[in-house]
Amino acid sequence: ALLQEITCIFLCHLFIPIPQQVSLSENLKTQQVSISWVGGEATTFDLLILRTELNDTVFYETVTVAAEASGQSKFLWTSAEPLECTSLSFRVRSRSGQLTSDWSSTQILQGNDSPTDERMQAYPQDKTVPAGSNITFCCIIGEGKSFDSFHFISESINVTRLSRRTYAATVYNLKPSRSYGHNAYCKGKTEAELYGAVIFVGYPPLFTDFICETHDLTSAVCHWTEPRKTQLLGRRQTRYSINGRYGQNRKQCSFPRWEENWKLLGWNPLGEYSLTDIADVRSRVVPLPPEELSTVANARNATVTWQWKLNHYVSLPLVCQVELMSSDDKTKRTFSGVGLRSATLLDLYPYEEYSVKVRCGAQQNFWRWGNWSKTISFQTDSEIPSAPDVWMWMNGDTTGQILWKPYEPRKSHGPIVSYEVTLWSPDDITRHTQIVSPETFAMPVNLSGISINNTKVIASVVAKNPAGLSPPESLDLDSEAITKVDFREGAFPLSWQSDANSSCGYIVEWYEASCQRDCPVEWIKVGEEITNVSIKSDAFEPGVRYYFSLYSCSSEAPELLKRWEGYTRELAPSSSVQLSTEQQDSDILISWSEIPSTHRRGFLLGYNVYLNNGSQLTKLADWLIFEILATLGVTALALIIVTFVCYKKRKCMVHIVEKPEWDSSKEVLVVIPEEDEDDEGQGIRDEPVDTDEPTSLRYYNQVVDERPIRPRYPDSSASSASSMDSGRTDVTYTGIQTSGSSLVFQSDSQSSSDQPLVVPESCGGADGGYRPQMQLPPENDNASLAQSHSLPESQACRSGGYRPQNNWQLDSPDEADERRSLAPSLGSPTSIASTQFLLPDQSSDELAEEKHQSSAATWLTNLLSTTKP
Amino acid sequence: MNEHVKSRSLHLCTHTAATLLSLLLVMVFDSTKATVATQQCGSTLLQTLKLARFAQKESVDIIKTYKASQGDMSEIICKVSLSGLPDPNISGLESSEQMSSVHSSLQEFSPHFKRVFDQQTDLQLPDSPLLDQLSVISRRSLYLDSQITVLYQQLFPNSPPLGADGGATSLPPPQNVFQQKVYGCVVLKTYKEFLSNVSKYLRTLKNQMCGINARRINMFF
Repeated sequence: ALLQEITCIFLCHLFIPIPQQVSLSENLKTQQVSISWVGGEATTFDLLILRTELNDTVFYETVTVAAEASGQSKFLWTSAEPLECTSLSFRVRSRSGQLTSDWSSTQILQGNDSPTDERMQAYPQDKTVPAGSNITFCCIIGEGKSFDSFHFISESINVTRLSRRTYAATVYNLKPSRSYGHNAYCKGKTEAELYGAVIFVGYPPLFTDFICETHDLTSAVCHWTEPRKTQLLGRRQTRYSINGRYGQNRKQCSFPRWEENWKLLGWNPLGEYSLTDIADVRSRVVPLPPEELSTVANARNATVTWQWKLNHYVSLPLVCQVELMSSDDKTKRTFSGVGLRSATLLDLYPYEEYSVKVRCGAQQNFWRWGNWSKTISFQTDSEIPSAPDVWMWMNGDTTGQILWKPYEPRKSHGPIVSYEVTLWSPDDITRHTQIVSPETFAMPVNLSGISINNTKVIASVVAKNPAGLSPPESLDLDSEAITKVDFREGAFPLSWQSDANSSCGYIVEWYEASCQRDCPVEWIKVGEEITNVSIKSDAFEPGVRYYFSLYSCSSEAPELLKRWEGYTRELAPSSSVQLSTEQQDSDILISWSEIPSTHRRGFLLGYNVYLNNGSQLTKLADWLIFEILATLGVTALALIIVTFVCYKKRKCMVHIVEKPEWDSSKEVLVVIPEEDEDDEGQGIRDEPVDTDEPTSLRYYNQVVDERPIRPRYPDSSASSASSMDSGRTDVTYTGIQTSGSSLVFQSDSQSSSDQPLVVPESCGGADGGYRPQMQLPPENDNASLAQSHSLPESQACRSGGYRPQNNWQLDSPDEADERRSLAPSLGSPTSIASTQFLLPDQSSDELAEEKHQSSAATWLTNLLSTTKP
Repeated sequence: MNEHVKSRSLHLCTHTAATLLSLLLVMVFDSTKATVATQQCGSTLLQTLKLARFAQKESVDIIKTYKASQGDMSEIICKVSLSGLPDPNISGLESSEQMSSVHSSLQEFSPHFKRVFDQQTDLQLPDSPLLDQLSVISRRSLYLDSQITVLYQQLFPNSPPLGADGGATSLPPPQNVFQQKVYGCVVLKTYKEFLSNVSKYLRTLKNQMCGINARRINMFF
């Protein structure tokens, strides 16, 4: 073995040359050392790098290096630590298989930790590295000082000792730094022993979308985008050049002349990046934004015009986009033309605020749209409104509401100034027009004054704005829209015509008409071949109105086809009207309120007005719906005569008595003059002396007080039932009648012949009556009074009185006889009476009252005497 | 005898009158001097003192901004001491010498401010508040220096005028960024300390020159 070793040494030295002329060239910035030597024919070398002070091996590898033409072999080594950190020793030897030469002489790369440099130092300084990379710092402690710690940003980092004064620490996966970099520093044992380095971490340049364009077919504007910031600023920021011309640190450069080829180059300490753009100038035309936009607007269209800053566009085929914006919409409309400078916008909404802006592009070789112009606003003109959406709601036979919806946006075509509602009947040329404010969307209507003989009434609604009136929207207010249906054989028979749209039959629903909310609704479904049905229900009650609605069943929503209304049995109304009077000179204006629908308990046919001049009730007017024409003459005559007589006699009292629909199960109503009450002695005497009820009502209440709803008495009647010196007026609302007779108390022809009429006796027996105190009666007052007795009596007898319906049967013949004996109006459908005393206003001349003080005293005396039982 | 006595009495009387007149002149002179001093207190000196205090407050504020603009652990880099900066202390025994020292130091600080501004321009975003504040304190120091010059001329009109250039200022050699950060902070800290000393000096000067009247006036500052 010794021989072999000696032989090897001999051969090695003889045939494997030792590398000569070893030299070092360092690059501190890149931390690289270029080692060169002359190694003869050898191509494989062992390279050894040691830290000089501690003799630690940094690098020891066999490398294969081809000799250059000069005979030198070179190897580039990159150090993990900055080369300033500590001194390094380099040696090279040649290798041939297992045979190696001796090591070359040691070359030392001097570090900054030599004793001659006593400063505290840190490396690398001001280095810029890519994000995500690793870096090794080193600190050289001052000569004679001690190391304490190393910090990067806010963390303490473990260190490795490289030499007597040098310590190194590695930081991994660096994150991008802010503009002032990351701080790394090491501390000595004292506060003054501090030194560090700043490292900047970022990205190499990167940009996209490098495009050169022209606005005028001559010059060029090149721009690009930077999708990722380099995080490097100041001296480290990215710099750009286009076609070798340096640009500012902006993302756009302008050039006076177009070039076919454009190259953008960007660089920073971490690298460089370039992009090119090749294009013909005609394919990169981007017009400047249009200027000086203006509009000329009409109701449905507008013309937008604009100007061009450059004359180049006058002959350039352009395509322009107009963006039209309204309150809730945004549309783009495209127009084209050579040197386009205007566009007409159609299909606009009247009286609408619009904003508009324009941008253009080259029509030929379109590249992209130019920038938008400034936005301008305009408003289209007004136009007549569209027809309003109108509906009706009939809440009674002749009363209801015309309803219309507020205009939806863009339907009014301008601010609505007013609505005009016109009611008219085809049979009558008179039109009833009412103008209402734009905030009004409903108007109550009463067809009784318009419709004659229940002919239909047409309601037209038009809206008005500054441009004019809308087309009318009309509705037929057919009072017969709801068909009355009789209750026959325990059911409501409904029939209808087959509806072609009904694909799955019909639905009939019914409910109480008086129900306002949460109504119990019943319904039945029948097949499409069915066109009639009889509705039976145990829930039906007399005196309650029911609505029946027929709907067609189809794939869409059910459609209302027909409506009916009906009672199983009609009853007399359960409440009185609110009666009021107003004296107008020698006339008396009588007015009363409508009966609530729930109190009607039957179809209301009209009202009778009676004059009570003491003990006699005389009909003044009869507004029976079906018989008004027949009774009009008689009523007018009676009113004239009675008025004349009362005026002359001052003893008559106007008494208007309701004609209730009489329930046969109830007691009949009769008005009994006081004289008769006294004569008959039917318990009336037991009434309290100071009762407030009029005589007629007192009896009525005695009989029908079982009703769930008590009749309401006018407050004015509280004066006294016996104050027959004052005139009283009663209004009766007539129930079902078979006769248009103006006389109320005649139950039928037979009974009227059997029973003596009470009215003449009552009227004649009264010694008071209405006396207008403003006009004193003449001397022949007695004669007039006598005449007034006879006329109402004769009128009452001739008119025949009220004839009850057949269904108002008394429970038994005996009972009927008994009732017949009580009053001639037995079984009458007359309703509760409302009475209004026709007294002069308190504002009447008091002097006149004083003059008639004796008359008033007489009246009071009579009052006290007549109210006693 | 009587004439001698009369003459002597007249002489004595004359002497007494002269003495009184001299005393009166001295009093008038002192009063005039005090009035002049009071006027000075109410104008340049007080304005200079007020300006120095305001500049001191700005220096405190900018140090906070500076530390916040240098990265983490920037507090520690402000603890490093550097040489070659203006002396924050005011030198000289006489008041005029001290005022001249203030003037010199202000002029020395100016190039340091510019150096710090340039260095920070490389580290801060263009809209950084630090750059604005650096510009402000640089201009303020020049204004304070001009005030000091005016005050010096008023208080020491017979003394040689203050130098315009203040002598050549030695700036540090090119620094790495870490050194720049340290340098900027130390410059600002030194400037703040200097302004504190200037304020003390001017306050002392005010007390010396203005006395009670100045104290009364100073109550309003």
